[in-house]
Amino acid sequence: MRRSLERHWYAYAMVAPVVLVLAVLVLYPLVQGIWFTLTDINESTIANPVLDRPASYSFVGLRNYLNVLSGDASFGSFWSTLLRTIIWTASCVVLTYGVGLGLALLLNRPMRARALYRVLLILPWAVPVFISAFAWKFMFNSQFGVINQLLGAVGLGQPVWLGQTDLALVAVVIVNVWVGVPFMMLALLGGLQSIPADLYEAAEVDGATPWQRFRDITLPGLRSVSSTVVLLGIIWTFNMFPVIYLVTGPAANPNTRILVTYAFERFFSGASRDYAVASTYGVLILSVLLVFAAFYRRALRRQEAFA
Amino acid sequence: MRRTALVIAGALLLTACGGGGGSTADSGKVVFWDTSGPNEHPVFDQLAKDCASKGGYTVDVQQVSFDQALANYKTAAQGGQGPDVLRSEVAWVAQLAQNGLITDLTDTDLAKDTSDFLDGPLGSTKYNGKTYAVPQVTDTLALLYNKKLLADAGVQPPASWDELKADAPKLGGPKAIFLNNDAYYALPFIYGAGGDLLDVPNKKIVVNSAQNVQALETAKGLLDAKAATTALDQANSYNNMKAAFSAGQVAMEIDGPWTVVDLLKGDAFKDPANLGVALLPGKGSGPVGGHDYVVRQGTKAKASSLKFIQCMSSTESQVTVSKKLGLLPTRKSAYDSPDVKSQPTVAAFEPAIKQTHPRPWVPAGAQLFDQLKIDYAYVLSGQKDARTALDEVAKAYKDQVVPDYTVG
Repeated sequence: MRRSLERHWYAYAMVAPVVLVLAVLVLYPLVQGIWFTLTDINESTIANPVLDRPASYSFVGLRNYLNVLSGDASFGSFWSTLLRTIIWTASCVVLTYGVGLGLALLLNRPMRARALYRVLLILPWAVPVFISAFAWKFMFNSQFGVINQLLGAVGLGQPVWLGQTDLALVAVVIVNVWVGVPFMMLALLGGLQSIPADLYEAAEVDGATPWQRFRDITLPGLRSVSSTVVLLGIIWTFNMFPVIYLVTGPAANPNTRILVTYAFERFFSGASRDYAVASTYGVLILSVLLVFAAFYRRALRRQEAFA
Repeated sequence: MRRTALVIAGALLLTACGGGGGSTADSGKVVFWDTSGPNEHPVFDQLAKDCASKGGYTVDVQQVSFDQALANYKTAAQGGQGPDVLRSEVAWVAQLAQNGLITDLTDTDLAKDTSDFLDGPLGSTKYNGKTYAVPQVTDTLALLYNKKLLADAGVQPPASWDELKADAPKLGGPKAIFLNNDAYYALPFIYGAGGDLLDVPNKKIVVNSAQNVQALETAKGLLDAKAATTALDQANSYNNMKAAFSAGQVAMEIDGPWTVVDLLKGDAFKDPANLGVALLPGKGSGPVGGHDYVVRQGTKAKASSLKFIQCMSSTESQVTVSKKLGLLPTRKSAYDSPDVKSQPTVAAFEPAIKQTHPRPWVPAGAQLFDQLKIDYAYVLSGQKDARTALDEVAKAYKDQVVPDYTVG
């Protein structure tokens, strides 16, 4: 140990600032957050140095976890909210990936004005999310929105998109897919262009059908890009707060409530700024994502071993 | 989680940098958060600037969205940041006082002579026997109606919900009245039926009482009888109500004086005389609303802030606001001014303001609407019956808002 320190002191000195910054920015808040989940901290018990108010919260053991995990409606109906979060994540990722791949395939062929199409399709990405969200909120307005006016014009029903029904979840999925497609498309387009063209030529010479070429060349060639963007997509969507909050908020809509939006409700706008319950949700979200990431990596490694 | 903790850590860091309150020195620069709407804001802005130039301090008026103001203020004030003066909704005062985020004004000139203020709004400025705020404007809900549409149908503004039901066919059925499915707009039904949300003296949660069940059934009954319409999309319902009423698509709505300036811009009210204001069908069922001025705990401009509030809440300033915007003054003396007497909105709302229903001025007062809003919307959309919905609200109050109360 001592010899290694003597020999490598320079290396330790070099990484020390990074370790320090990580400790201050990640480790300390993380530990503090976990500690909060074991207390009854809220806005009236938290310490406030400015106002000379000492902390008055106390240790309550695992009460917050028991309350949340009981699935009680007063603590956000954890299990049904988790299920809704999974439905939301799965449908958003599947749709963005599918639409993104389709558009990438269309754009990966020689055609006129290709650059123009690319720019237009990337546009949703360039617009700040809050602007897209407000625009969609106006369009989904049940009485004055353009979507219902179009539906009415062609003689279809005029549903209440953003009411307290599951249709609101469909509406926010649509918005999120619209916002998320450009990233998927661009990443997959990059992946498509890295597949050597001679593979397709050889397959064509051997008489492979377009479907066979897609299944046996394109998909395997995209595997490394796909696994990364799907993982990113899942993590982003699982914690996607602004789209839901801006389209169906600011007051909470229980039918579009996912884990992060509920944590926000309890932390900021909820009945009592319950930092303890919000932190409990934070820890549970982190745990769910950690478990998922571990499984995902293992599944990927197994797939690569077989490939 | 990480982000949550980071926010707290960040807030703590900021407070550490902020240092002590500095109660003696006065920076002479007042930051005022105005939560009024886009049509009201310019008037308050001008008034604030006039006060500042007269009083020898500077003022920075920042417009903050009403929906976000409480959350933003709490976050900022907890970290020693934020405005020096906030326009606080009456129901926020007790909560902010309990959390130590606003200054106790009991020993200042502002609390000395309050006999000129109306009792309703004055009640909202007190918490635990101390004064924390100064009333800015008061309001209540009333029945706003389109005079021409009612005259064409040959009906009078209804005196009861049953009368409204009977008159509705003449007004085009659902076009008779637009109900906003927001919790605050459920209060007239609840108060009108003799119900309430909390029984504060006895520490009881009474939101699921038989009266309240009947109240929500009355509201739902109007929709079922095709005597009313509503926008079931929560996010847009208030704006849709205003849009429909000011375009003349519906004959009546329940709303307060703050909306009149906006409504008069609509097609239906090009002639302002077409806008009628009547008492709500349930007598004395309009909740006391309005806004107060509060000073942030830890402000560096306390003396200037006090002067600023003194000027903004003077009879003269209230008359100006009233004259230009039709907002209701909180000072009795302001009602004697000829300018206020001749203001049509004030004159129209004055009977309503004299028979408002008091609201509990307790810290939980502002938190009662979150769950009620969700369940009121479920009742109006027919997804839940009134009894189930209100039992859920009572449970949420017990678990989240007032754990020391009993459900009864």
